[in-house]
Amino acid sequence: MNFLRQNTTTRRLVVTVSSIVALMGLTFVVPPITNSTLTRGAAIVIAILGLNFLTGWSGQVSIGHAGFMAFGAFGTAILLKHFSSLPIAATMLLATALSALAGLLVGIPATRLSGPYLAGMTLAFGAAVPPLIQNLSSLTGGPAGLQLETIPTAPSWLRSLRHDTTSLITVNAQWLAMFSLLVVGVAVMLMSNLHASRTGRAMRLVRDNDVAAELVGLNLPRTRVLAFTISAAYAGLAGSLMAFTKGSVSPQDFLVGLSITILSLMVLGGIGTISGAILGGVIYAYSDNFLSWLTNSTGIDPYSNLGSNLKTIFFGGLLIVTMLTAPRGISGLISKVFAKVRTSR
Amino acid sequence: MIASIFASRILNDLLGGITAGVVIGLVALSLVLIWQSTHVLNFAQGAMAMFATYIGMTQLDHHLNYWVCALISVAAGFVLGGATERVLVRPLYGKADINPIVVMVGFLSLLEAIAAAIWSGTPRFIDPPFSSIFFQSDGAPTGLSPFALFQIIAAISVMAATALLFRFTKLGLQLRASALAPEVARLLGVRVNRLLTLGWALSTAVGAVAAVIISTGDTGLYPANMETVFIAGFIAAAIGGLESPGGALLAGVVIGVVMQFVNDYFNSGYAGFVGVILLIVSLLIRPQGLFTKNAQRRV
Repeated sequence: MNFLRQNTTTRRLVVTVSSIVALMGLTFVVPPITNSTLTRGAAIVIAILGLNFLTGWSGQVSIGHAGFMAFGAFGTAILLKHFSSLPIAATMLLATALSALAGLLVGIPATRLSGPYLAGMTLAFGAAVPPLIQNLSSLTGGPAGLQLETIPTAPSWLRSLRHDTTSLITVNAQWLAMFSLLVVGVAVMLMSNLHASRTGRAMRLVRDNDVAAELVGLNLPRTRVLAFTISAAYAGLAGSLMAFTKGSVSPQDFLVGLSITILSLMVLGGIGTISGAILGGVIYAYSDNFLSWLTNSTGIDPYSNLGSNLKTIFFGGLLIVTMLTAPRGISGLISKVFAKVRTSR
Repeated sequence: MIASIFASRILNDLLGGITAGVVIGLVALSLVLIWQSTHVLNFAQGAMAMFATYIGMTQLDHHLNYWVCALISVAAGFVLGGATERVLVRPLYGKADINPIVVMVGFLSLLEAIAAAIWSGTPRFIDPPFSSIFFQSDGAPTGLSPFALFQIIAAISVMAATALLFRFTKLGLQLRASALAPEVARLLGVRVNRLLTLGWALSTAVGAVAAVIISTGDTGLYPANMETVFIAGFIAAAIGGLESPGGALLAGVVIGVVMQFVNDYFNSGYAGFVGVILLIVSLLIRPQGLFTKNAQRRV
């Protein structure tokens, strides 16, 4: 088991596959509501991974990733409408490629920009996408969006594995959770390999010191555009998964608020770490539960002005406090604690 | 006959665009002020101005005069801006670019949510102090109303006052000095920290003027009412170069006019995208901004 001690591809493969298999096993025993919650968080994990790659590993900030997610989601819905015979994996890949192309086009001028300019440009991009989609109504269904022509339903082997008494809805919810876990697993695996690769190292050098990066012969603009494209591809994959698991897409799902949510979750979880992205997804998935606990225990009417905005107030405040006091987020705090334990031993 | 209707439509769009453009320019100016003094791009600028406007304009409920409420809004902007610099921004100086961006984005969503929690998300409509019916010429509307004229005059006066303050007063000189070379300014006895706070306060007050103008009339006051104009203002500031107040104003007017024509001849849904394309094209031509003199560092 020596290979498990080093950060090799084999180790990453073993860790990822075994965690995904274990989680898939869990989908059989947890209540269906937990499966739906898992599914909701899965797409967000992938979106955070994408933003993380851009922000955490190449030092560029985007406040417009919901725009790329919209490309992935609408790409999926439109492909399913016109080429319904296409296998799901092919649809997802094509939608991801569409979003990557959008990322490439936005990324090329973005290489000329630094920090705040770039963030502003992505914000302008992200805000421009939903109205654009709304107005291309013959393609996108306008403000109402599109219903997916085919939604993934549980295959017969899964149904035969469960009790006969288990309802079809329960099995379908489980299937969606398994499907999402699989996609997340592949995304995490690819990302951790990318992080350890030559490209990943180049990105980190560009982030930490762009002059040094240039001096060792890295092509700065190309590295930055590549980071943007990969990041947009991940956002597109997240959008595509979201479309499949929700069964519908609407321009209202991809407003600037979603971009801000993803940015917040990335910071809360921990910038630049895969564990942080996963934590962010879990926080997102359970934020509604947390909120109803909060309104219950404080006695705030959830439908009042305060109650309906409590979530944003809480997370907006938390984001500011995190950035001011612990900018490396939860996973940063955890590794700090571990480091202390290790040195005191 | 057709030619005259067409000419009138173009004139309408042009004047309407200029009216919207000066307000965009005002937002751009407030961004430039903060950028120049602290090198922070304030993503919460629009939200802060909106919040200040709520504080002032809800006083209309107490039967206060429009102008008094507008003045309270601007004063509230001044205080909010200064307080924000002290509490949120000061710990961030010298940190990586991403830290102030994230904090200000967090502040943006926090302010919008708090405003919705206090005053609800439904727009409240404020009667303009001047008529917003277009002037007529030969029985055709000109695209300019008394209120629009007031907007243009107010925006240009605020810009002129800011320019005069920076150019000709001792305070302005100190503000410029603390932005350009904080250490040297400090050695020469300028109280730099205080001036940075003042820079933010002034900038938010300027933003509040823009927010009061936007919230009066058709758009109405609601928590997200500055989002679109903030983005247009950022595009104007970036095209003009974040160093140049005059450039920001000019770019703001150009964007206002272009977007007005897009709205009228194509579709309002495309205006945002046209803005992004304008930004991209101008940045590809001159990344440091069309009106900035010095080139930035080249690697």
